[in-house]
Amino acid sequence: MAIFSLFFYVLTGILVCILYYHSANFLLDYFVKKKSNDSSIRAFIFIAPAFFILIIFIIYPVLETVRLSFFDKYGREFVGISNYIWAIKDPEFRRGILNNLGWLLIVPTLCTFFGLVIANLADRLWWGTIAKSIIFMPLAISFVGAGVIWKFVYDYRGPGDQQIGFLNAIVVSLGFEPQAWITIPIWNNLFLMAIMIWIQTGLAMVIFSAALRGIPKEMLEAARIDGANELKIFTSIIIPYLQQTILVIWTIITILVLKIFDIILAVTNGQWQTEVVANLMFDWMFRGGGDSGRGSVFAIVIMIAVIPIMILNIYRHREEQKI
Amino acid sequence: MKKYTFSSLISQFILLIFVIVWIIPTFGLFVTSFRDKDLLSTSGWWTSLITNEVNEIYRTENNESQILENNLYVIKSNLFENINKKKITSFGITSKNINEFIINDIATLKDGSKITVYENGDYIWTSEKPFENKKGKRIFITASSPPTFTIENYKEVLFKEGVGQAFINTLTVAIPSTVIPLIICSFFAYALSWMQFFGRDTLLALIIASLVVPLQMSLIPLLSIYNDIGALFNVSSKSYPGVWMAHTGFGLASTTFLLRNFIKSLPHEMIEAARVDGANHYNIFTRIILPLSIPAFASIFILQFLWVWNDLLVGLVFLDQVPSEIIITAKLRELLGSRGENWEILTTGAFVSMTVPLAIFFMLQRYFIRGLVAGSVKG
Amino acid sequence: MIKIFKLCLAIFASVLFFNASAYAGGHYSGPDLSGQKVTISGPWLAPEDGYMREIASIFEKATGATVEYGGSDSFEQQIVIDIKAGSPADIAIFPQPGLAANMAAIGGLKPLSNDVKQAVMDNYAAGQSWVDLATYPDENGNDQFYAIFYKVNVKSLVWYSPDNFADNGYEVPTTMEDLIALTEKMANDGNTPWCIGLGSGDATGWPATDWMEDIMLRTHDPAVYDMWVSNEMPFNDPRVLEAMDFFGSFALNDKYVNGGSKAVATTDFRDAPNGLFTSPAECMMHRQASFIPAFFPEGVEAGVDYDFFYFPAYSSKNLGKPVLGGGTLFAATNENEATMEFLKFLLHPEPNEWWMAKGGFLTPNKNADLSKYSSDTFRKLGEILTGATTFRFDGSDLMPGAIGAGSFWTGMVDYTNGKSAKDVADAIQASWDAIK
Repeated sequence: MAIFSLFFYVLTGILVCILYYHSANFLLDYFVKKKSNDSSIRAFIFIAPAFFILIIFIIYPVLETVRLSFFDKYGREFVGISNYIWAIKDPEFRRGILNNLGWLLIVPTLCTFFGLVIANLADRLWWGTIAKSIIFMPLAISFVGAGVIWKFVYDYRGPGDQQIGFLNAIVVSLGFEPQAWITIPIWNNLFLMAIMIWIQTGLAMVIFSAALRGIPKEMLEAARIDGANELKIFTSIIIPYLQQTILVIWTIITILVLKIFDIILAVTNGQWQTEVVANLMFDWMFRGGGDSGRGSVFAIVIMIAVIPIMILNIYRHREEQKI
Repeated sequence: MKKYTFSSLISQFILLIFVIVWIIPTFGLFVTSFRDKDLLSTSGWWTSLITNEVNEIYRTENNESQILENNLYVIKSNLFENINKKKITSFGITSKNINEFIINDIATLKDGSKITVYENGDYIWTSEKPFENKKGKRIFITASSPPTFTIENYKEVLFKEGVGQAFINTLTVAIPSTVIPLIICSFFAYALSWMQFFGRDTLLALIIASLVVPLQMSLIPLLSIYNDIGALFNVSSKSYPGVWMAHTGFGLASTTFLLRNFIKSLPHEMIEAARVDGANHYNIFTRIILPLSIPAFASIFILQFLWVWNDLLVGLVFLDQVPSEIIITAKLRELLGSRGENWEILTTGAFVSMTVPLAIFFMLQRYFIRGLVAGSVKG
Repeated sequence: MIKIFKLCLAIFASVLFFNASAYAGGHYSGPDLSGQKVTISGPWLAPEDGYMREIASIFEKATGATVEYGGSDSFEQQIVIDIKAGSPADIAIFPQPGLAANMAAIGGLKPLSNDVKQAVMDNYAAGQSWVDLATYPDENGNDQFYAIFYKVNVKSLVWYSPDNFADNGYEVPTTMEDLIALTEKMANDGNTPWCIGLGSGDATGWPATDWMEDIMLRTHDPAVYDMWVSNEMPFNDPRVLEAMDFFGSFALNDKYVNGGSKAVATTDFRDAPNGLFTSPAECMMHRQASFIPAFFPEGVEAGVDYDFFYFPAYSSKNLGKPVLGGGTLFAATNENEATMEFLKFLLHPEPNEWWMAKGGFLTPNKNADLSKYSSDTFRKLGEILTGATTFRFDGSDLMPGAIGAGSFWTGMVDYTNGKSAKDVADAIQASWDAIK
């Protein structure tokens, strides 16, 4: 019975969607014979559903967030820019910005690099699929699961007690003192970043794997016949060919990093100087009933931070158009 | 043809390093999910892979089980509740000295009674006076414990009432929430890449900006829209189609952005040639673009599916927490206990819920290859 | 809004628990509510969610209404989302009063009738205090009565292993002086006196706030405690610093705490009590609320493998025997008949006695039959309460969320990490000033 309703729901949902595109295009072909009309009306048919969803699910909430950032914590009284002034003076916010910069420099770069290297290596080896699924696995583990996994890596027990954290077990077996890793300022940020890299490299790898299929085989074979080694092929053929994809993945991961808060929330909750802006947002938005004014300010800071990335992408897009 | 060159060995080596580093944490979790739940926070997971020495406390029977044997009062039994392969090497009778005696030795207690513990956990406790202890005597043992694993944790998760239903519910959420955005976004991405219309660049900028909108900020305004719509038609505001729309909305920007990258990178000569032949955009899209984009679709399908599958927040906010709608992540949290007292659920649950995305990953692997064939035709 | 918190409980626990039995027994019978539905959302998960559903089924049988309970571990975010968006369940179970007050202030809760208020006054020991704790200003700033306390816990407890005490010749301390001396003796014997763990994911730090509250009640007048909780006395007052340093004298002493002071903040509160049961014992004592046995290793038995004693008061300070407690509140977001009737139903002895028999449940309801408590352990908790001269509600739960579930938690973690009491208290006070 449950299975039946599953099929019913799933099929209806998907069919309604396909039906829209098919019938809309059919009607267009039927009624509008003039070819010059094809582009603009059809563009409308192609874009309309996505645009509609975009407005409701993205644009409207953003406008609402902007509005709330000028209101008090209950969203009732207009308070001008006082939430913003408060944020600028807040030391946690400054700490968050600094940490976020660190995250933005390190995580997207390493994820993209590792993802590309792994996708490239795995594609040419017989055990590549197995290797890829192992790298992919962290992405498939729910966040709660990942939290426990890393507890068993970073856990600290006093010297002399039995360590249950893998990292401390290694450190102790080498004859050093165990460390409370997540409490060591500055370094602990790197330990948190390691978790993010561990999870998101799989994402980069999956996309690169697909993109690598686009590289013409002949190009690679020609290079090999010319005696180029794998490193040379990687740097002079693969990287230039995937330039656009690299930018796309770097953008996606950069944005994920801007929004990252669940790792920090679960492991340190911003303690020991690991605060980031998104965690502040979450904290002010929900903790103890929430302050939608201050929470919104942090959300807006995150949204503003994306502007340079957006410009870079648009610039690339314009370049492509010229060709 | 296959020849192990130096550079291919290097490649294998580098990849192997990655794989090892990546798998250690997951492997730790995997091992942990088969361990007894009380051991999770007392010893490292790697200790369960080898025979190692453990210190444990057991309690003897109390005075009710004493018998009279040759004028001696005797309590005898086995310390272990369950049959196991532990081998005791030494024992103690107070917490101050836990390995005072080696097995088979006779330990004399303060009251003059005598106790002996054997390798397999059998013990004999004798006294000339009748025993009066209401609770058993604590025995501290040091034993070598061979690796032991249990599937109890999995039984607990898999056969709990409602878990199967939650799996089906999650599929009901996840499949449309993956397919619908893929359909909608592929048309959108195509239009952004190959069609001319007013405001195209602005729309692209908007998509990139939308990537960054934090989901948490959208929940309250969206749920109030849902409530208004629900009230207007007098239906529940929390339903499956509502969740599909929400996931489509939240996944729209990234799906479009990734798909556009692929569709844009297809050779433009091909599309122009088709245009010249009189094909309209719909035909080009369905006959040329779709088949060529299969690797891209496969990879984006995996990512969106994963996202929806592991989502907790959207499912909690846009669905009722009733058996017919509760999703697997929420169900696992429920099993975890109010204060998170059931640790083992975390480890086991993580693996149980990982199986589906992983299966999809394997299933879609072959489409990466088919894409290659299709792609190479063009050259 | 802070004002109302001032009205803290000053309960003589003799009133609280032992007025009983005269009214005991009887089955609940309610009006016919066939076809009506009540939805409840709360933070309770397994096994408490099952108990909640069983309680609900008593109500369903008596009235013909249907009741649906949904639990979530992110209840505190979800209720904010649901109330602000306008679609909450009919009844919300708040884990602490602070959040309920916040929701009342945005107009998310419906005030309860004077009948219900009167019923709480009449049926709960020290009824006025329970009414005051559930009275908050509404969106227009008028005080209204909003919620019913159901399921209470006691925090001033120290857990230990009687066998470990016997092996070492330790005696259960009855005064704070004795406890301090015992702690020192244990350390000198080469044992570790305390297991302390503050880890709790995104709520890391809360166990230390309970320590602080218990210490405040043992070093100063209850009136000082009330002033501290309402911030009439600043957080960086010397009396608070003194309490923090007293906590530090245990938690920051590497010889007094399992794993050393570095381990305090990183050890999960769920793992911390395990040290009592290891061989050899990693620690001798663990201070935690009445719910902690749920986290003890499987198979350990109350009264045999573990027991508890009252976290004692100074004999020299003449502050009596203060007890710290907490509790969950049921509040309505909808005024329909069945919802209101369900809240009245919770005041009846039957749902109280049913859960008392399951354990993990204490009630201030005078009419509940005390013989229904599941075990001697819980009856002993009653004794701790009877012996108490002052009862105070968990202070951090009464403070505004940004403090009591925010800077107070993180501040205590900073403190165990080596920051000075003064710096920590200054920072907490600054965060309090920032939300005024």
